[in-house]
Amino acid sequence: MKWDITEHALHSEFRAEVEKLSGQNLGDCYQCGKCSGGCPVLPELDLSPNRLLRMVQLGLEDEALRNETVWCCAACGTCDSRCPMGVEILRIIDVLREMAKNRNVTPPATAGRVLTFYRSFLDCVQEFGRLSEVALMGSYNMNSGRLWTNMVKAPWFFLKGKVSLSPHKIRQIDRLQRAFKRVEEIESQ
Amino acid sequence: MKYGYYPGCSLLGSAVEYDRSGRALLEALGVELEEIDDWVCCGATAAHATSHLLSLALPAISCAAAEKQGLDVLACCSACYSRLKQTNHDLRKDPALLAQINEIIEEDYKVKPRVLHVSEVLANEIGADAIREKVTKPLDGLKVACYYGCLLARLPKALRIDNIEYPTMLDDLMAAVGAEPVDWPCKTECCGAALTLARQDMVIRLSGELVQMAKECGADVIAVACPLCQANLDMYQSDAEGQLGEQLGVPVLYFTQVMGLALGLTAEQLALDKVIVDPTPLLVERGLVEAGVYL
Repeated sequence: MKWDITEHALHSEFRAEVEKLSGQNLGDCYQCGKCSGGCPVLPELDLSPNRLLRMVQLGLEDEALRNETVWCCAACGTCDSRCPMGVEILRIIDVLREMAKNRNVTPPATAGRVLTFYRSFLDCVQEFGRLSEVALMGSYNMNSGRLWTNMVKAPWFFLKGKVSLSPHKIRQIDRLQRAFKRVEEIESQ
Repeated sequence: MKYGYYPGCSLLGSAVEYDRSGRALLEALGVELEEIDDWVCCGATAAHATSHLLSLALPAISCAAAEKQGLDVLACCSACYSRLKQTNHDLRKDPALLAQINEIIEEDYKVKPRVLHVSEVLANEIGADAIREKVTKPLDGLKVACYYGCLLARLPKALRIDNIEYPTMLDDLMAAVGAEPVDWPCKTECCGAALTLARQDMVIRLSGELVQMAKECGADVIAVACPLCQANLDMYQSDAEGQLGEQLGVPVLYFTQVMGLALGLTAEQLALDKVIVDPTPLLVERGLVEAGVYL
């Protein structure tokens, strides 16, 4: 891969915005790679965490927002806990995910399934106030077009009495839905 | 001792045995729980990965309810615990953010309640000595690998309740009830967590390696503190066996279930029948449950 890194990119608005939203100083990362050394999902990523941070440092907005890594990160926080400079890497990845979502950046193939899962999850919370695992599985399978995901496991849930079939709706659902709406309005500004 | 109980969504469904064993254990130890009124989902990874504001607003609603009830928050699920505690931390640091969140959730939350994990209450507020006194069936010789997962130990510095790389709180609780904690290197390795539906391949690899390591280190059972850890290690164990080409068969129980056994709680009270890798043969052999109590 070849990247065009200009003087302008090094002082990019993108980098400044990530720093502002995450409260982290990207200059603190000196690329030691310790974050990537401990990353449990590294074999499945297209960019190691330290390379992802390097891209933000260099202002490579498109590359930093559209990749498998931001979505396939399991949010375990090992990178954060081991960074010798105390950079909160997971917070930075959360900021990148949120920017990618708000700017409608389409994630690459399998990574898109993760965003679909998160959307299905929050849709369910918005509707009922609590998550129903059955409703989530159903809506994720519909939204992702992968209809049989986990269906092999479903009988266990029923046999073991581990599902509550009626979603638990909270009393103050109207207030919660107004909160979702307000967050959406603020984010679209 | 009374707490505002935050069950969290998983404990109403896939982790119903965590809810039942946790409540039974705390009751046996004289702790009173009052459910937080009209609590809402904490948003988990889905919220913090896609919306910072929502990831603070959702936990704040439940914590504000606990504040009105005048109670501290007790959570069993490590993910809920982590989100609720992180939210309080962020809101305490930043009054402007707190004002914005209060406007979003239509509350006047003052961030008074503490957020505690059930293991923290057992270890620090009740204490190993008081627990030891209540043991009627010591778990002599039962080798337990305590699996903390990511979210229980791995918190920002100011919030930590245990060592971040090699936590010992659950091990100490196991020792208090007579079990033998296993020294193993994967206490805080990740199981794949919320990628359970979207990237099963990753979850099966990570969970399989964990169970394999626990077995190699001599564990009879794995004790967990998080519904996603339990589901991933238990439900996908047969898939992992296929990929690794070896039999694993290690029961994955909530640590509250294991502790409850030592306090003489019944298999039914601890909902032992809900886990998939059947712990019955092992527990019957050790005289911890009676044969034929359940399927």
